[in-house]
Amino acid sequence: MAKVGIVFVLTIMLMAMFAPFFAMHNPTQQQLDRAHQPPLGVTQTSEEFRFVDGERQIQEVTIQGTVEHPFGTDSLGRDLFSRVLFGARTSLMVGLFGTLFAVGTGVSIGLVAGYYGGRVDDSLMRFADIMLAFPALVLAIALVGLLGPLTVRIPDPFVAAGLVEGMPATFVFPITLTIVVGVVNWVWFARIARGEALSIRQEEYVKAARSVGASDWTILRQHILPNSLTPIIVLATIQVAAIILLESSLSFLGFSGTTLSWGFDIAQGRDYLGTSWWISSIPGLAIMFAVIGINLLGDWLRDALDPGLSGEGGV
Amino acid sequence: MSQARFLIRRSLQGLLVVWGVVTLVFLLRFITPGSPVDFVAPLDASPELRAQIAINLGLHQPIYVQYFDYLFGLLRGDMGFSYIRGRPASGIILSRLPATIELAVAATVVAIIFSIPLGVLSATRRHEPTDYAATTFSLVGISTPNFWLGIMLILIVSVGLGILPTSRRPIGLIPALEMLIFQLQISGIRTWITHMILPAVTLGTYFTAMIVRLTRSGMLDELGQPYVKAARAKGLPETLVTYKHALRNTMIPIITVLGLQLGSLIGGAVITEFVFNWPGLGTLVIEAIVVRDWPIIQGALIVIGIGFVVINIAVDALYTKLNPRVSYE
Repeated sequence: MAKVGIVFVLTIMLMAMFAPFFAMHNPTQQQLDRAHQPPLGVTQTSEEFRFVDGERQIQEVTIQGTVEHPFGTDSLGRDLFSRVLFGARTSLMVGLFGTLFAVGTGVSIGLVAGYYGGRVDDSLMRFADIMLAFPALVLAIALVGLLGPLTVRIPDPFVAAGLVEGMPATFVFPITLTIVVGVVNWVWFARIARGEALSIRQEEYVKAARSVGASDWTILRQHILPNSLTPIIVLATIQVAAIILLESSLSFLGFSGTTLSWGFDIAQGRDYLGTSWWISSIPGLAIMFAVIGINLLGDWLRDALDPGLSGEGGV
Repeated sequence: MSQARFLIRRSLQGLLVVWGVVTLVFLLRFITPGSPVDFVAPLDASPELRAQIAINLGLHQPIYVQYFDYLFGLLRGDMGFSYIRGRPASGIILSRLPATIELAVAATVVAIIFSIPLGVLSATRRHEPTDYAATTFSLVGISTPNFWLGIMLILIVSVGLGILPTSRRPIGLIPALEMLIFQLQISGIRTWITHMILPAVTLGTYFTAMIVRLTRSGMLDELGQPYVKAARAKGLPETLVTYKHALRNTMIPIITVLGLQLGSLIGGAVITEFVFNWPGLGTLVIEAIVVRDWPIIQGALIVIGIGFVVINIAVDALYTKLNPRVSYE
């Protein structure tokens, strides 16, 4: 199963990285005369009002899916296949950088709390308790919704180098969203790092290092951090999946600030469930595909690296 | 430590956490860009009008005065007046609470009914088709965004098959029960159930999937233990060994993880409510965030925080009861 996970994850990563090469259309380009085209292999029949000789008539209209838009088009005629490819960028970037942010803050705070103990530990862990009293999604909705979506435009290297044409020149990276998904998830890493630091600081080699005059910083960095790395890596992998789900939820609510995201497209398609079912369905399948891949990878890493770490915590 | 003392100590800790929650939620308004006046005042409001609105909302006071006002108000159950609706926020929030609790409980019931038998089956028939089906279901279940699952259920069940309603339930559980008892009419309860099925399945699927995983791995561990061999050796029927001995010991880690995951149940409820236009706390929070209705945002977040703390204490108490090896320390 681990192999399946690796294949899924690699597929998504390649899709995200080389989206401008695989995409057949600009994902943001609207073509109203091509709106609501079904995916390849699907024939859609609907009734439309047409004016014939100045009179309004109901006509049956049949549209067939074409190779040109393999996943169909949305209500504004944008190509869904290209949107799924570019949406992978948002999900993966937020998943990756959000997790890095959570690991960075969480591990630093946890190590400091566990290593120094006493009052530092108490106050940091009480703060962690308060953070945990909010469900992550609720806190994230409140923070992103209230702080407002700050985004940066990152130039697409392939377009800048002139390798592809007709693709968006920039990629919109949602900064607030990324920081917030990190902020609501740091506590888990802090708890692990703290536990490890608590147990490791009693070890003989740490005492030995201290007695030969190593500074706290050196001990934390050279002895305690490397020894607590395994559970952190396992948790981080699973957290990428959790953060991708979180990102899609926030984008679905329209709080992310980018309009090129799987969650955003699912929200778009909600209004057309009766006629164009594919607009909501396909981006959701993409999320599922990515998250299943990462979860399989996480399960495998957990079994391989840390047989003692039981349970399903974190997700 | 006795159970009573344990509960008192945990409650005091909980109170401290709730105070922290209140403080954080209060400070949230001051790190948010823009003034609440921007959302309340008309676009062409004169500076005098804006100043008057700020005074009416109590925003002209220094932060610490506003903070203590808010804190003492909360102790009296006063959360201020909704900026948009002009009614007390506490009343609006309380009126939304039953719908959320009903949804969360229904989802938990769905999850427990389906997951534990499925997990046990999966473990006792390891490497058989049942097991593969159950593990595949649980992997897909924990990997599916629940808002999307809700939309797909609406698409297939409501739009496609046309059998269940999609949104905005017309009746709550209590009025439905009153109808049943006082007017002997079953239609209220029927309406309540048909509106509850899709949201409960949407919210419950993630938990079903997670508990299946936990039950399966826990049962596999327990079924390999010496006491199970002993029970089998003395000729106990397999059902008794499985359900009475092994499952009981598996329940302990299941409850631990469920306690840890309550947050995602509440978070999931917020977004499930949004998808089904459910008249609960989640929809209220999202609507209030969009229009910056601060008394509602703050009050609802505090109620969610308190609910979470209370459930956690309850789970801890239950946990110590189920597992005699864990003391109240």
